Amino acid sequence: MAVHSPQAQTFADQVRAIPGGEHLEMCYSCGTCVSKCMIQQKVEPDYNPRRLLHMVMMDMRREAFESPTTWLCSACDLCYPACPQEIHISGVIGAVKELAVEAGYESALETVSVDESLCSGCGICVMTCPYEAPHLVEKEVEGEMDRFSEVDANACMGCGICVAACPMGAISRPGVSNEEVRAQIGVPQSSGVPRLVVFVCDWSLRADADVRLLESYPENVRVIHIPCTGRIDPEMALLALRSKIDGVLVCGCAPNECHYKRGTVVSSCKIGLLNRMLDQMHIGDGRVRFVQIGTQDQGRIRAEVDGMLEHLAAGKEAR
Amino acid sequence: MVDAARHPKIDVRTYTEVERVEGFVGNFKVQLRQKSRYVYEDRCNGCGECADVCPIEVPNPFELCLAPRRAIDVAMSQAVPLVYNVDMESCIECYKCVDACGELDAIDFSMEDKLVWEDVGSVVVATGFDHFDPSVMTEYGYGRFPNVITAIEMERLNNSAGPTAGNLMRPSDGENPENLAIINCVGSRDKRFNPSCSNFCCMYAIKNAVLLKQTYPEMDLSVYYIDIRTPSKGYEEFYNRAREMGIRFIQGRPGLITEDPDTHNLIVHSEDRDLGYVTEHEYEMVMLNQAAVPQPDVDTVSSVLNITQSPGGWFMEYHPKLRPLDTPTDGVFLAGACQGPKDIPASVAQGSGAAARAGRVVHAEEWEIEPTIAVVWEDRCISAQGKKCGICSRACPYGAIEYEEGKAPNVITAKCHGCGACVAECPHNAITQLHFTDAQILAQLQTLLADKPEEKILAFRCHWCSYGGADMAGTSHFEYSSNERGIRVMCSARMDADFIYEAFRLGAGAVLFSGCHPQDCHYITGQRVGAHRAERLLKRFERMGMTPGRFRVEWISAAQGDKYARVINEMQEVLDSIPREELLKEIEEFRPEMAKRARRMREVPQIEEASDFAESIADARRTREAEPA
Repeated sequence: MAVHSPQAQTFADQVRAIPGGEHLEMCYSCGTCVSKCMIQQKVEPDYNPRRLLHMVMMDMRREAFESPTTWLCSACDLCYPACPQEIHISGVIGAVKELAVEAGYESALETVSVDESLCSGCGICVMTCPYEAPHLVEKEVEGEMDRFSEVDANACMGCGICVAACPMGAISRPGVSNEEVRAQIGVPQSSGVPRLVVFVCDWSLRADADVRLLESYPENVRVIHIPCTGRIDPEMALLALRSKIDGVLVCGCAPNECHYKRGTVVSSCKIGLLNRMLDQMHIGDGRVRFVQIGTQDQGRIRAEVDGMLEHLAAGKEAR
Repeated sequence: MVDAARHPKIDVRTYTEVERVEGFVGNFKVQLRQKSRYVYEDRCNGCGECADVCPIEVPNPFELCLAPRRAIDVAMSQAVPLVYNVDMESCIECYKCVDACGELDAIDFSMEDKLVWEDVGSVVVATGFDHFDPSVMTEYGYGRFPNVITAIEMERLNNSAGPTAGNLMRPSDGENPENLAIINCVGSRDKRFNPSCSNFCCMYAIKNAVLLKQTYPEMDLSVYYIDIRTPSKGYEEFYNRAREMGIRFIQGRPGLITEDPDTHNLIVHSEDRDLGYVTEHEYEMVMLNQAAVPQPDVDTVSSVLNITQSPGGWFMEYHPKLRPLDTPTDGVFLAGACQGPKDIPASVAQGSGAAARAGRVVHAEEWEIEPTIAVVWEDRCISAQGKKCGICSRACPYGAIEYEEGKAPNVITAKCHGCGACVAECPHNAITQLHFTDAQILAQLQTLLADKPEEKILAFRCHWCSYGGADMAGTSHFEYSSNERGIRVMCSARMDADFIYEAFRLGAGAVLFSGCHPQDCHYITGQRVGAHRAERLLKRFERMGMTPGRFRVEWISAAQGDKYARVINEMQEVLDSIPREELLKEIEEFRPEMAKRARRMREVPQIEEASDFAESIADARRTREAEPA
């Protein structure tokens, strides 16, 4: 926890004293950050970084601590490179959040939980988390000291990267636990047409038209929504292929636009490795594909899904 | 422009660049490169038959490459003079133009650039501005989405003499757009590119919106803005008129533009600040109102004319309020947007003013300069004795000192502004500054430190900033230690290291070295010369083991009276914290070293007389103080 200087009088001074909270007074309220961010559009209409900065300047402590902006920002930094005043907005929000936690406020987000009976204390989750939420603790169990992972619920943003990474399956998040995602993998048999599973990250499709488009595909295309492609476990792709599904398309954000900082990078590595393995076993044939869709790539998802279906159809014919 | 070209006393040289400028106010020599047009100006009558037969078509940069031009063409239809020009980069030398020109015989492919020297009395710089290229702002998709255009492209598309004859077409399909968004502050008020406001774009956006609304009354127009700035006469009224015409103004800077791949329509994602949430409106066309930026070759122009630039690359005026048309180089004036973004009325006003200022030089019989100029003592100069030096010439911010090896330097008095940088930098004390000679300053030093010097705080203040700061402290009644004694010099560059050594030799308790903030220096780079020297002194005293705080360097502006008082009080605290015996011991310990370092100054003329004079003043004061009240 940062040590705040005793001179810090106003709320703004306190925020500025925390590394990352500097320069908030430079905001001239142009609204670029709000329009760059997808949280307001997709999750919370009251989400507004510009207003949070203004609340800090106006000494509105309680309002700022209660604002959804304080708790929902995932520090993706989509806004930062666009801010004309070069304010590191997520840094300021992080500073407000730090003060809010100090003041006893708690995150209301859906976060991950660890099943201690399964956790082996390996620490992979600690390494993979973009938010430093999990950490290892020692506890006495039946007279013996043992290590477990413990998650700081105020730091966890619920991306599920650790859920996918945990080799013991000890971590889960309501809505996207291993069982829940696996249960969705299943495409009814249909004659001739290739069967496809599309894992789509909740944040990669900015345009509503693209989201609606995915819903309009016939049932040979099964769309599974996940919070982040970092949540994808290669096992899920294998499970799909094993249950006679022809292909898997994983659709995530562009590398510098991931909502959870590095989920899309983690996933591209995982899918890359999986593909190499499938190729070595001569069953690859481009059946698992990872695409990274940028915020300005409206309409690209259609080309990607159609392209994948075409590719699978051609492969099927050849076989 | 046509009027100017026809005026008997105006000589318009187009397609010509200034290569070198020598001399000084009233007596400049300017070298011009008259670039080869391959067409004789005096023979071409502008009929255009050459262009008609030219088989080569290349994109026309004047039309922002929205239309073609020929390899022989005029830059624009209103060009003055109306003379054709061969673009050798695209010409295939088929000589069809030569045949078409026929008897006029105006085209000559053997023509070469000409270098000419001209004598001029004054120079007005009016090199204008350039436009920010918005393709670096990927969020707006300029260059990627065909229907996102810049304001200047709009200017051509909506101009009856433009490539579309004034018919506003969507680049993607040639249709007239039914709705259009104008986005302000593209690249301006943006620390990533240009932190400053481009001044005229708000009005420019409104003008374009009004023009479009007049031509296409059915068109739905929206202007996205951060703030609308209408600071001049009649501007707010014009803005109101635009609102009355039904043009929508949306407060919010768009963070993103996306494109519908089927229709090539654009979706502008922006927070509507009045509504408080993000809106995603679809437009058939988007115009980016890009920032004004300095011309790409400002550095070359700066170095040719020896003029400076403000942060951001605009040419710097001599004084922002009192001499806004002048540059630090006498006889060189600024007009228009090269000095900073400005609209047409402001540019015309500044141009008229600059012309009058320039005329004053041209018509003057005599020219008044600062009296505090530098003078060289040839007998002391080592360069005159054949040794390598030239330090004075390098220190001069104005290039006023001509240096040639083996000769004493020549100070061009008309160029000298009297900062004193050369005087203080000369290691052999071979230059002096009128009214600020070493002897004069030494006399002040000795008088001020005649009694109880260890209690005194000697403050060197520059004339333009810290002296004003001390004044401000006085008029604002900021209390500071009465042990402070001030000496005024023109610039921190004049604060000779010898003065500091001499002050400590005489037993000064503390010495302050104060001047302007770097960006405020009255003498372009004088402060930098002073600051560099002060750094060296600080390090030297630290190595000698002097108590920290006895020599202090501070940059204090004329408005910072509070800072001046604070600094002096802090120095007093330092003196108070050292026990008197220890301070006296330290002063004694350093005295021989200080005397050794300041010895050269004691050799310059009039020092003896100055010392005697200082002594007599000090004596007179002692007598006066000794008398019973």
